[in-house]
Amino acid sequence: MGRMETNDQAAIRAVLCGDRDAYAALVAHHSRSVFRVAYRITGNEADAEEVVQDAFIRGYRKLESFESRANFGTWIYRIAVRCALDKVGRRANEHQQTTIPIDAEPETIQVPDRTPSPEDFVLSGEIGAFRESAMHSLTPLERTAFTLRHMEDCSMEEIAAVLEIAPNAAKQAVYRAVHKLRQRLALLKVRT
Amino acid sequence: MNHLSEEQLIELYYSEDGPEAARHLDTCPECARNYEGLQADLGDMKPVQPPLRNETYGQQVWESIADRLPAYTPPKKHWVLRPLWLGLSAAAACALLVAAFYAGRMWEHRQPPVQSAAVTKPVPPAPPRVVVVVLSDHLERSERFLVELKHASADDDELALPLRDEARSLLAANRTCQQEAEASGDPVLTKALDHLNGVLTELADHPGGLNAEAIAKLRQEMDAEGLLFEVRVLRSRIPDHEASIHKHGTGGIA
Repeated sequence: MGRMETNDQAAIRAVLCGDRDAYAALVAHHSRSVFRVAYRITGNEADAEEVVQDAFIRGYRKLESFESRANFGTWIYRIAVRCALDKVGRRANEHQQTTIPIDAEPETIQVPDRTPSPEDFVLSGEIGAFRESAMHSLTPLERTAFTLRHMEDCSMEEIAAVLEIAPNAAKQAVYRAVHKLRQRLALLKVRT
Repeated sequence: MNHLSEEQLIELYYSEDGPEAARHLDTCPECARNYEGLQADLGDMKPVQPPLRNETYGQQVWESIADRLPAYTPPKKHWVLRPLWLGLSAAAACALLVAAFYAGRMWEHRQPPVQSAAVTKPVPPAPPRVVVVVLSDHLERSERFLVELKHASADDDELALPLRDEARSLLAANRTCQQEAEASGDPVLTKALDHLNGVLTELADHPGGLNAEAIAKLRQEMDAEGLLFEVRVLRSRIPDHEASIHKHGTGGIA
């Protein structure tokens, strides 16, 4: 067990003995890695900040169920991913009316007011923004599974464990995400 | 020839598929072309670089959530059995120390004097492993005690009696550890144990009896919070020390 993990365990024991301030050390050690994954999943700084806070609050409340042999960093990372998934899910519901149906014919796309068209992105040179828009076309589960596989380099087994789904379901989520993203990118390439 | 599906190509890209798919690409130009297309598309989806967060970010997060976190209540039921257990464990610790001491003395007497031509650099004697374990236990108990002292309510007299009993129990073990610390020549440990001794003595034998008000006053006067920090620092040094004993077989408490 490394020095960092030893310190984490000591801090957890102190918190459970009533020293609330000992949790500050855990927050300090892990907040940046939690922010990184939260930002990658939500794609939004403000949402990522909320996810970081939610994750540490949720972690604090569940600290009694934390197994002393486990790694706190991994544990809080998983909580953060689930918080981010919830956040993306809520955002998806809020914007359900404004998304472009992926299977619609390009000629018949009804571009909503709040979602720029591929041409807008090309004209403004914001290819990166188009990619971000393509990410938003995924379901929350697909987006999270793809982010964990493609950007966080998690294995399919790890993704399944974090999202509490079967390994095959994790694979299918990644496949669907890649398929949809490629369709979106193809659309962009045709227009340019 | 069966071409590779998009799913197989994705598995290959993420190194989840076996070498069979890779071999197929060498013999099938169409699949190789499809795979290149997939590589290009996924290469375009570069990992998002989050905005940088500085060293104080953790502190900012903590400040934003601290008010929403109620302190855990230490389990009070332990107080019922604690004096008995603490008494037994303190007695066991003392017995171990005495046994280790006499075992060391006997071992020294039985060894023939070693005469060597080579003059080696003198190394400080390592404390017996049992001393390290006892010290580790003592510091852990002291940390718990100080946390409870820190959070003892100023209007709850019920805590006074258990705290006094705990202080008395810790006092005996602390004096043993003080002697060991002085013998090992570790000034930091000696100073912290002296400080702890002062706090424990005041709590154990407070004139006029101990009550919540007296506890609050002592906590302030004796800088119990600073002592808690010192104890935590000392505890964090113990694992390294144990490792050094295994590795070198020599060294002080530091």
